[in-house]
Amino acid sequence: MRVALAEDGALFREGLLMLLRAAGHEIVGSVAGGDEMVALLATEQADVAILDIRMPPEPDGGLTTAERLRGLYPQMGLLFLSHYAETHYLMRILEIGTESIGYRLKEKVGSVDVLTDTLDRIHNGEIVIEPVLAKRLVERPRGEKKDVVASLSERETDVLRLMAEGRSNNGIAGQLFVTPKAVEKHIANIFGKLGLHTDTSEHHRRVLAVLTYLRSQRTEV
Amino acid sequence: MTPASPRQDGERSPNGLPVGGPQMLPVAGPVTRLREVPAEGSDEGSGDAGRRRESDQWLRRRLLERQLHDGASLRISALALRLGLLRDQAPFDEADWENRIGQLQDELHAVLQELREVAGQIYPPLLDQAGLGPAIREEADRLGAALELEVAPELPRRRFGPVAEGAAYFAVAECLATRPDETPPALRVSISRDENDLVMVVSGVGARHLRSMLDQARPLGGTADLAEGGTPETGTITMRIPCE
Repeated sequence: MRVALAEDGALFREGLLMLLRAAGHEIVGSVAGGDEMVALLATEQADVAILDIRMPPEPDGGLTTAERLRGLYPQMGLLFLSHYAETHYLMRILEIGTESIGYRLKEKVGSVDVLTDTLDRIHNGEIVIEPVLAKRLVERPRGEKKDVVASLSERETDVLRLMAEGRSNNGIAGQLFVTPKAVEKHIANIFGKLGLHTDTSEHHRRVLAVLTYLRSQRTEV
Repeated sequence: MTPASPRQDGERSPNGLPVGGPQMLPVAGPVTRLREVPAEGSDEGSGDAGRRRESDQWLRRRLLERQLHDGASLRISALALRLGLLRDQAPFDEADWENRIGQLQDELHAVLQELREVAGQIYPPLLDQAGLGPAIREEADRLGAALELEVAPELPRRRFGPVAEGAAYFAVAECLATRPDETPPALRVSISRDENDLVMVVSGVGARHLRSMLDQARPLGGTADLAEGGTPETGTITMRIPCE
């Protein structure tokens, strides 16, 4: 896969480059800021751009750069890496796009397997959400959602958490050692309890429905 | 909170940040006197000197947060990647090797989470990056507290400066903080600007929170007032803090 990297911390940038090379990816360029990334991609093509959220242009150059890149190259995947898993950033990321996009903690992509899995899923059009963040959203939904989420069975909560990470039915089935059919049944139950439309069959729409539900903006006047 | 060491004196840029960035400010360097720090026992906590002292404390907190971000966090993240590389170069008993490295990486994640918590207590990263509304919202989410947040429409673009935002944030955080067996209170918070004041109205708080709000506001030349009426547990407190 062709990957472009923008990260202002030289130490982490070098480490990630080593890991990307070890995973067999082609690095089309690595830069220290958002503007440099836009300039780089004017001459080089990438399948996925990896962006630090907190880098120049300050304060959150990764996000503003991603908006520009999504406008210029809608097909290119975007992977945000950050020191912080914040729902605030997740919501801003989902405003930029809900396909071929990911948000992960920097230290959680520290193996060839995880890094490649993350990049592959993004390249295939999926959403990838840091499990810690998905877990927090499911366990601590916004105030008025608490009762509804509490009505889910333990297994349904597991399925919801994996859905919020952006996992496909097959992915969820693999993680929970059940059949994809069983996962479908759980998801139908979850959607029923949450009052979400079951016709959001497309994978990324489904994840989006779950995420927006869990962090409803309704209380913000 | 007492910072680990005094901030080195220096000029301020227009946004209130000391010129030169965090790397100019040694954590354990030589002790440099802050400009015009009042002598021990003088009238601290009021007047210009007290206000400056408070301001410096808030700026120090923000700098410490940045140092954690640029220093320890980055080093440990890079280490995580190096360990991942090592796993693929394992020369013997692969399964065992992978298992051990995986454990080390989990450990590193736990260390980082701890560092993040420390950083958040010093100065929440989101407060610095995104402002008062998002930071209060994130904290309420983290605690599972119901929160109704009203932010004046022009505000997301306009900021109040690190001092007033820090004081206002920690005043609300104090209200949300509860013992593990308690449910956090459902608060209604509105944030607006009145000329050179940050105005924050917090409803659903106990009268006992007036004290901590005053502690945050007063040293900065601000005020906190409890509205008449209401019950002891569902009062409304209005904070005013001079801001940038």
